[in-house]
Amino acid sequence: MSVIELNNINKCFGSGVSKVHVLHDINFSADRGELILVVGPSGSGKSTFLTIAGGLQTPTSGEVSVEGKSMAKLSTAQRDKLRLNQIGFVLQSYSLVPYLKVKEQFDFVNKVKRQGNLNQAELKELLAQLGIENLTNKFPGELSGGQTQRVAIARALFANPDIVLADEPTAALDSARVAEVGKLFKELAETRDKAVVVVTHDVRLMEFADKTYQIMDGKMTQATNKQPAE
Amino acid sequence: MYLALKEIRHEKLRYGLIVSMIVLIAYLIFILTGLAFGLAGENTQAIDSWDAKSIVLNKDSNVSLTQSVITTDQAKDAKLSAQEAVIGSTPVVAKHKGKEKISASFIGAKKSQFIINDLKISSGRKARGNHEVVVDQKFKDDGYKLGDKVTLNSFNDQYQIVGFTKNAKLNVAPVIYGTIPSWKHLRAMEGVPVVGSAIVSKNAKYNAKDDHLKTYSISYFISKLPGYSAENTTFGFMIGFLMIISLIIIAVFLYILTMQALPIYAVLRAQGIPARTLVSTITSQSLILMVTGLVIGAALTAATDSVIPIGVPMAFNLPVLTWISIGLLIMGFIGSAIPAQKIATVDPVKVIGG
Repeated sequence: MSVIELNNINKCFGSGVSKVHVLHDINFSADRGELILVVGPSGSGKSTFLTIAGGLQTPTSGEVSVEGKSMAKLSTAQRDKLRLNQIGFVLQSYSLVPYLKVKEQFDFVNKVKRQGNLNQAELKELLAQLGIENLTNKFPGELSGGQTQRVAIARALFANPDIVLADEPTAALDSARVAEVGKLFKELAETRDKAVVVVTHDVRLMEFADKTYQIMDGKMTQATNKQPAE
Repeated sequence: MYLALKEIRHEKLRYGLIVSMIVLIAYLIFILTGLAFGLAGENTQAIDSWDAKSIVLNKDSNVSLTQSVITTDQAKDAKLSAQEAVIGSTPVVAKHKGKEKISASFIGAKKSQFIINDLKISSGRKARGNHEVVVDQKFKDDGYKLGDKVTLNSFNDQYQIVGFTKNAKLNVAPVIYGTIPSWKHLRAMEGVPVVGSAIVSKNAKYNAKDDHLKTYSISYFISKLPGYSAENTTFGFMIGFLMIISLIIIAVFLYILTMQALPIYAVLRAQGIPARTLVSTITSQSLILMVTGLVIGAALTAATDSVIPIGVPMAFNLPVLTWISIGLLIMGFIGSAIPAQKIATVDPVKVIGG
């Protein structure tokens, strides 16, 4: 069973002559251990797709399910709980609370979500895996762009979600950094058994993905599976 | 609370400025309240010390003690028990060679009645004759001593100060307690059939049984003291406006800070942090700022009270100040309501896009 599925999702904004059909019959699924890319240019509907997959918006029609449970009947509080427990967001900016040190970002999660988070040993291992174990006493403002992105990933994974949704995680990174992030997501998906869904316009990430969906004008193409290495 | 404290610690200057505004407002409110109570007290100290419930005045006196005269005929049916006392009141200027003149209220009373009986002497003794007086502490503060002989108004008679009493002011003027015959002398009514200016009673329903006399409650009588109500209303308005200003300040500052931090709150909402947690952050911040401001404001007020000159009428009423502090906390809480509402309804989609 896929950890997250979107079936026949349509999303429209406005009504009458100003009605805009942003997503058309989107079908999508992701399994644990997979790194999946949703690639498309600006304005293609990527972010709308991400917010619907993450339960931040409801589709006009169609169904989103996480671990086989439909989101349609969930209240706002239940959606909050679902996101807190099962979905980790990595966003382009503002992912971290600016007045909390890196270690306090995790303390805060522990205060809000008291169970199911990584323990101290697991957190230490995660930080080491991400190469940021020496940054725990720094504020986000003292970190470079790449370091901030890694801390945001650690913050998303700390709550031990089933799914990680990342929005343009390589924006403003050079090619070397893009490859680094691609490898990292791939490694995290495999070693931590997460479904990592990356929404991006950056085709340089495609070589690391297990599946790639193309999205254009709100329409999603079938997934292309990664070719096994020869 | 966690985020609230962390943000305040991280943004010390920003929050320090807000606290300093609250400190100044709290300090101003406390000082104004102290002055309001001090002035009110100086209007009514003597009346308060009598512990009376009602006062009988000539009904044509317009509720004015100094304008009221009760004749012997008007008082003939008035039964005076231990609960009642006759007083005669007149404004005087006390003089003593080499000392500053003092405008005072002369209160003539019978030594057998409760006003003189219950009078607390801080030094010296009670008056025994018509040429002896007990005076308010203000005289002592101005250099008068026991045994000094003062003249009153333009009369040549001398009155010896035989005792001092604390908290004896009427309409801001210090009181000189003397006898009824002395009062009659000062009013140039010797030989005139008058008993005094008023009958003061500890009985709220006392009736002097004469159509020319009217019984007033002490609270009504106080409210009619010249300038008393206008003064208290003015202070009340000033304190009320300052409370509203404090509400606006906390609301504006927190609103600006919240609007700046809204993208962060939006992302936290996207990450599943409950709105309740984030709303409690802003209300906690508001309460922390208000409590800090109030504590520092109260400390400054206490410091001011300890160095303020004796002549400045300032009195602090702890229960009232506690209620004002609670009022300010409520204002802070209300002030955080608008930013809290912004946080509760923030849409993460607007930050993420889509």
